[in-house]
Amino acid sequence: MTATGAGPALPDTDPADPVGNRAPADLTAQSRAPRLRTVLALARVEASLQARSLVVVAGLLAGGAVVWLRIGRTEPLWWNVGWRIGTGQLVLGMTVLIAAQLAAGRARRNAMADLYTSFPATAGTRTLAHLASLAGAAPVSLLLIGAAAVVVQLRGAIGAPSIAVLAGGLLLVIAAGAAGVAIGARFPHPLAGVLGALVLLLSSGQSHLPAGGVIWLFPWESFSDQLAGLPGPLAGYPPAGAHAVELAGLAVLAGIVALAVTASRARARGGLAAAGIVAMAVICFAGALQLSPIRTADLNHLVSEVADPASAQRCTTASQVRYCLYPGFGRDLSSLQAPVSGVLAYLPARATQPLTVRQVVGLGLSLPDSTLTHGHPNREVSQWDAQVQGAPGNANGAPASAIYLPVGNWPAAGGQLADAHFDLALATAEWAVHLPGTSVGVSTTGANWQCVPYDQAREAIAIWLAILATHPPAGELRNGLGTGFSGALVRDTLVRTWTYPGWGWGYVTPPGGGPQNTAAGYLLANAMTSLPEQEVSHVLAGAWGKWLNWRTTDAQLAAALGIRMPSIVVTLPSGKTIAPPSIPGNGPQSPLCTT
Amino acid sequence: MDEMTLSVSTAAVRADGLSRRYGATRALEEVDLTLERGITGLLGPNGAGKTTLLSILATVNEPDAGRVSVFGLDPRDAAERVEIRRRLGYLPQELGYHRHFTVAGFLDYVAILKEITSRRRRAEEVARVLAAIGLERRARTRVRALSGGMRQRLGIAQALLGQPELLILDEPTAGLDPEQRLRFRELLSDLPGDPVIVLSTHQADDIAAICPHVVVLLQGQVHFAGTPAELAASAAGRVWAAGERDARAHLSWRGGDNRWRHIGDHPPAGAELVTPTVEDGYLLLSHAAGVQ
Repeated sequence: MTATGAGPALPDTDPADPVGNRAPADLTAQSRAPRLRTVLALARVEASLQARSLVVVAGLLAGGAVVWLRIGRTEPLWWNVGWRIGTGQLVLGMTVLIAAQLAAGRARRNAMADLYTSFPATAGTRTLAHLASLAGAAPVSLLLIGAAAVVVQLRGAIGAPSIAVLAGGLLLVIAAGAAGVAIGARFPHPLAGVLGALVLLLSSGQSHLPAGGVIWLFPWESFSDQLAGLPGPLAGYPPAGAHAVELAGLAVLAGIVALAVTASRARARGGLAAAGIVAMAVICFAGALQLSPIRTADLNHLVSEVADPASAQRCTTASQVRYCLYPGFGRDLSSLQAPVSGVLAYLPARATQPLTVRQVVGLGLSLPDSTLTHGHPNREVSQWDAQVQGAPGNANGAPASAIYLPVGNWPAAGGQLADAHFDLALATAEWAVHLPGTSVGVSTTGANWQCVPYDQAREAIAIWLAILATHPPAGELRNGLGTGFSGALVRDTLVRTWTYPGWGWGYVTPPGGGPQNTAAGYLLANAMTSLPEQEVSHVLAGAWGKWLNWRTTDAQLAAALGIRMPSIVVTLPSGKTIAPPSIPGNGPQSPLCTT
Repeated sequence: MDEMTLSVSTAAVRADGLSRRYGATRALEEVDLTLERGITGLLGPNGAGKTTLLSILATVNEPDAGRVSVFGLDPRDAAERVEIRRRLGYLPQELGYHRHFTVAGFLDYVAILKEITSRRRRAEEVARVLAAIGLERRARTRVRALSGGMRQRLGIAQALLGQPELLILDEPTAGLDPEQRLRFRELLSDLPGDPVIVLSTHQADDIAAICPHVVVLLQGQVHFAGTPAELAASAAGRVWAAGERDARAHLSWRGGDNRWRHIGDHPPAGAELVTPTVEDGYLLLSHAAGVQ
């Protein structure tokens, strides 16, 4: 049967071919140029959609927040911060994965598969465009890197950014996007992308991974390193270059999978299979590189830097104080000098002993660590461990003539810096009044057992000096009294203790390794600040040796200054309020500072 | 190449012995069809195979047997299939939309998929089809904010992008109000380039109004191909109007004039013979084919 009635010929058609028939011989050549232009045009639109996607914008903000949380409190060391920026990229990558999956599955999800099939742009062309559109995620990723880099630089970055590390973050986002396209090409349901993102997130944890260097086969893994405590970058830890190569291989492999899902021609599938094999080979090669041990010479150098900081540090003397810092940390010098010099300036008498302020790694490096020492003989690792255990930062406190500062803990700005300044000032003042910076024992739980300068005038003097040198907010100091019971038993007496701002953050090591400050000492120091500074200095200078004696009491100091001794109230856990030292206690006793 | 040239027919679209099954269901069986330039209406009840036939012509589906030639090109060949698609505009029966796209954004996206890669040309094309379907004021409206009728017009608009030489519209008037249907008829009649247009519909009056050719598909087979007048004429002498219902009639219904219209082989008592319409011809064909 035939529908009859032909219409007129098309204006552009060959008169000999009234219906516009076209011989197919030249079609293949004709189709290539439009295909490339179509891919580019479509990729441009998809990239724009992706960059404006609420999911990606949310990922950018969440990634930025994660980066801030991970670098906000730490010292801006580029060899550490670069990887923390990568953690933000992981979050961004998760959302790019979701957005890419949504885009790639859009046609099928919106019941437009038949219509799309009728277009000259094939499914392969569209997939290629979706993959190319991931270029739209690159500026978002670079924006995150750029913003984080600006913040790090403004906070006084130490070291230099590693292109391989930062590129790894970018490649992670691209690889996640390519995985999203592959998932979307096969599974259009929106939950498929969310599940993919969750798998990425869960795989970023370390609990499911075997120990050792295997962890580096997951280049988005981000919680297993000890970078924050290292005095400098360590080549191959983590293996950034191999990470970047593996991520690039994974991105290409995901793209190949996406194209294979949509490819219909056997020849195309064959080419993709060959490309997939190459990508797998690259990934395996990168994996092998990542599993190779860190060079012995580099680890020897690190352990040497840790165990014997003096061998690697540069020292500067200012106002009779030596500041010994690892190379590259010179920008910390002025920040360290301010509180130390401040205390020394208010000191009523010249210090009788030298002071060295030294950076240490100590607790910042934990050995054995199979992610760090994998591939090295146990005997060698044990030797390194023994050396690190004897490092100054791991010793029981600092010697009387030194203050130790853990690498990576000195904050760059803000409230944390003010707290760190106070901590250093207090450590300096305690050194000046001969309060021991060393713990005097170890409790049954293994914690350092600090001595308590109970009823010792020199403690109040030290706190007063630290307050004068750094002017911390009065409220913060008062908060150190706490709202409940906080105290120690000293010679059967319940002594209420005081926690100074920043205590526990480890600005000075070991944290709280000095004396355990008392509420009485703080309150007396606080009362001293209400007096003219010259008047107090005059009283102290008049009998400086007496005030340094541990037997000189708070009451004697108060009397000399002509102020009333502040009263101390202790609230027991039961809620009962008592006035020490009238109640003898039971339980472990804290030692009295007697040196 | 010579062989191809020799095999070229003057028919724009040709289907020979098309068959298609979905499991145990026979959708098309031995369908032979040729389509020339101009509008061809495809009539048939639900399940007759209209959508399957149109999807095969649109290169979306492949037949189990038989072959199709579109402008002398064979859709079984990948390169020729792409070439057919370059000359094709297709509105599927059930079309979803990217609801978060704007109207213009959606059309621009489809234009790229139709390989209109020049931005300027795409903008011109989008403006042209928007004006053609009367949605130019809705260019920046999100698709999700459109009514059902507007979405149907948007579907028609995307099919018109690129001035296709073969326009396949599966129930394009579904969801359109009477005024929009009239505008649609006007639109199809004014399309430049004299394309081959195939539209399926349940609306016999649409066929009568704009289609020079009509094909009736029943139970997967072509039962009629000709002009609407010929389809109407096939019922000549078998349509009557009467005051009472006649139980012997194949079909009967009461019209707006309160008189019964009968289609059958026997005139009811007191009935007068009336001029048959396209719908009468179609209904008679359906009845003869045993379609309920």
